[in-house]
Amino acid sequence: MRTRRLAPAALLSTAALALAGCGGGSLSEDSGGGGDDSVTVGLVLPASGVYEPLGVDMTRGWELYLEQNDGQLGGRDVEVVTADEGEGPDVGVPATTRVITQDQADVVVGIVNSATALGVKEGLASSEVPLIVANAGADDLADGGEWVWRTSFTNGGIAASLGEQVAEDVGDEPVYLMASDYAAGEESIAGFREAFEAAGGTVAGESLTPFGTTSDYQPFLTRAQNSDAGAIYAFYAGAEAVSFVQQYREFGAAEDLPLYGPGFLTEGGVLEAQGDAAEGVQTAMHYSNLLDTPENTEFVDAYVEAYDAQPTTYAVQAYDAAAALDAALEVSDGTSGADIAAALGEVGEFSDSPRGPWSFDEEHNPEQTYFLREVEMVDGAPGNVVQGELN
Amino acid sequence: MGWLDANLISVLNGFALAALLFLIAVGLSLVFGTMDVLNLAHGSLSLIGAYLGVALVDEDASLGVFVLAALLAAAVGAALGAALAAMTSAINDHLRQALLTLGVALIAADVLRELFGSDPERVSAPAALAGSVDVLGRPYPVYRLSVVAVAVVIGLVLYVVLERTQAGAIVRATVADRGMVEAIGIRSQVVLLGVFGVGAALATLGGLLAGPVLGARPGLDSTVLLLALVVVVVGGLGSVRGALLGALLVGQVQTLGVSLLPGQASYLLFGAMALVLLLRPRGLLPSPYAHAGGHA
Amino acid sequence: MRRALAPGLVGAVVVVLVALPLFLTPYPISLVTRILAFGLLVVSVDLLTGVTGLPSLGQIAYFGVGAYTAGMVGVHVTDNLVVQLAAGVALAALFALVTGAFVVRTSGIVFLMVTLAVGELTHRLADGLDAVGGSNGLAGIPPGTVLPGGEPLLIAGFVYWWVLAVFLLGMAVALVVSRSPLGRAMRGVREAEGRLPALGQRTYAVKLAAFVVAGAVAGAAGTAWTAQNRFVSPGDLAFSVSAIALLSVVLGGAGTLWGPLLGAAVVIVVRDELAAYVAGYGELLLGILFVVAVYALPRGIAGSRLRRVPSVRPA
Repeated sequence: MRTRRLAPAALLSTAALALAGCGGGSLSEDSGGGGDDSVTVGLVLPASGVYEPLGVDMTRGWELYLEQNDGQLGGRDVEVVTADEGEGPDVGVPATTRVITQDQADVVVGIVNSATALGVKEGLASSEVPLIVANAGADDLADGGEWVWRTSFTNGGIAASLGEQVAEDVGDEPVYLMASDYAAGEESIAGFREAFEAAGGTVAGESLTPFGTTSDYQPFLTRAQNSDAGAIYAFYAGAEAVSFVQQYREFGAAEDLPLYGPGFLTEGGVLEAQGDAAEGVQTAMHYSNLLDTPENTEFVDAYVEAYDAQPTTYAVQAYDAAAALDAALEVSDGTSGADIAAALGEVGEFSDSPRGPWSFDEEHNPEQTYFLREVEMVDGAPGNVVQGELN
Repeated sequence: MGWLDANLISVLNGFALAALLFLIAVGLSLVFGTMDVLNLAHGSLSLIGAYLGVALVDEDASLGVFVLAALLAAAVGAALGAALAAMTSAINDHLRQALLTLGVALIAADVLRELFGSDPERVSAPAALAGSVDVLGRPYPVYRLSVVAVAVVIGLVLYVVLERTQAGAIVRATVADRGMVEAIGIRSQVVLLGVFGVGAALATLGGLLAGPVLGARPGLDSTVLLLALVVVVVGGLGSVRGALLGALLVGQVQTLGVSLLPGQASYLLFGAMALVLLLRPRGLLPSPYAHAGGHA
Repeated sequence: MRRALAPGLVGAVVVVLVALPLFLTPYPISLVTRILAFGLLVVSVDLLTGVTGLPSLGQIAYFGVGAYTAGMVGVHVTDNLVVQLAAGVALAALFALVTGAFVVRTSGIVFLMVTLAVGELTHRLADGLDAVGGSNGLAGIPPGTVLPGGEPLLIAGFVYWWVLAVFLLGMAVALVVSRSPLGRAMRGVREAEGRLPALGQRTYAVKLAAFVVAGAVAGAAGTAWTAQNRFVSPGDLAFSVSAIALLSVVLGGAGTLWGPLLGAAVVIVVRDELAAYVAGYGELLLGILFVVAVYALPRGIAGSRLRRVPSVRPA
């Protein structure tokens, strides 16, 4: 009996000794990568969950840039390790931990979800690994701190760019505000309201709709219709944007309330699913695949040839993240996280981006032009036709 | 525009939502009532129906095409239901049924994602029912009104079959006491297979009919499953009337409730369910035939 | 029928667990840390589901109260982990007492759905409360200390030891309770439920006591989660986490406490680690695992006899 009880103990001890052979240990400060001349990039993008379509577009944008540059950034060989960001921080934070501890990434690129970005921010800073955010829009994410850089947008920034334009369009009539009830929606409404009211606009009312669980916007649309509003400002993305715009049409709000919002409302696959229901919706965004510049035409052609699909703003954000890293590595002294972070501060303006010229501002957010886009039928399919520049 | 008019639209819309929820949830309830199987792949069946709509119904589809798609969805559902019945027949423990059917749901979700991609898709209403009619001075989608009519017809047929036919009597007897039915020489396995098939057919049919309202996208399966679970538990497991009442209640909570208490919208559904279950643990209209039905 | 775990085996496992940071590099250690915190949540689910026969989808609520309390204490009061643990456990137990007073009046599927409602409502509350960071989550939690004025725990191995200590404490509480007179009464509830629905007041008290103990254990797990991640977000309280926790119990073998722990480890390794090799297919692997397990391991990993499984085969 006694020996039988001891058997498993002996087995486990043996296993422990075997593990010891693997060496390592986790009781000392972990020094990041950066030992050699090649760069390890941790690409953390959603491969599952509701943000997967964004992950697909962004992976394409990233890969297209690398392909166009023979797999090198700043003249250095690049090793890319990928991890699935999933839907929220419960998956995204451990995934990011994996690329910096296990794969020894020198820099992390990607991150769609703002909560995930905020969740990994401190860990990256204490590991001295810079983060190039290629989507997450939380206003406070990039604050000029050494380690966070962003090639996408801020929720408040996009929203604010629409304020003056809408105030001008609606004249004396107030506007009804609607958004998904989570941080991005609140920031979007706050950013728009401030700019809109500063331009003399008035707000008729506001509805925050439960995030991710609302399938029927009729109760909220009816409130907007019953108010004295002359237009609606709405922040929605993904499947929510599809349902919202479709119901905006079906319940007749489209007949007398023009719809404005950040470009996520009609971007990429979302617009495809909305079809002609989205016609006439006006959005603010820092990119449209229909932007008529030589840089963009070249980009769109290359993208379509590579993937047989139209690029989205998300793809451009990742493409530009690769461009930013390229420029930084060009001027960087080495390949450690600290070297890259320091070099990102010296990259200056990106003049040949598909979105037009942009640069990092002092908070490390992109200083860029926002465009007013309107959904029109182009060759039988809806497209975001650029109407002009906002700002 | 008065307060009353606005909320009447919400009430009407609540009926449309209830109609869809009833179609989807009644199968879940019957399967639980007769087979004592908790089928967590029920939401996947609905999503399969919705994706069949994506594949078969294009923007200018005629009513005939839509009806054919609906019949096909029901047939696919019946086949899948029979397969699920066979898979679960040897497993009598609710928790292991949950493990199995949720496993199936996870697999189905990834297969659908492979086939249809991860972008949200729109399902078109048949051309004849697209557009809106004027209800109380406001445009209202014709399609949603038609859904209510379809659900009423299907609900009536179900009720008559269950309450007025011999097959229905056997099903009711199986709910009450499976052993007894076997003792009088009826093979309850056949009854159970039939019920699972019909329940699943209604779920895929409901999913397809819900397509033009809810769309088709990854994740819709679990949203629908949760709603259906709430409907059948609130209504009372194992009864058609319970599922109907549950669907009506959930439909109104999601529209009229949200319209009246927009600030609390997130909490309404589960708050209402918790309240009902604490006051009436067996649901509002538990099946008069079902045994205690409370164990898991 | 249930064999007590051999003390020698338990001792050996503890020794190996304590020694792990000497061998494992930071990432594997952070993985084991995560498994321990999630595993303790699963143990709390098993206290209700397996031992007491009350299938719960709501332990995530008490896990969340523990996690958020630890985070709030860390941000606003002290970085001392012992204080965070005590506060998290106390509030989680209190919340379990208040909600349990209503919830334990039900049983079976209804209990499952009411606990689901409690979990979802807590999740949405966390999402809507700006004071705890809203949907962006609670960030800026300082690294914890164990002794007042001590060094903050920044290194993966030391964080692991703290989480291991919380885990062993929670596991000990669960084991002691399940072998105490209360544990016997809890099993009595499980066996009697349905057959003798009207045992009355005594059943209610036993169920409530079990609910509070399980809530406290889940709260401890939550504080451990926060100690590791230094970040809590509503995503940590999602329905999917509750579902995975409950299914880990079934996978491992309900009622054995250690079986569900193994179930939790298998689920996390399959979903988060194996899935890294096939990005985006973690849930598919999990689905296949569940389906195979139902047929291949009819009694769970622990091989324990599940309730209501007809004894077709000779045992």
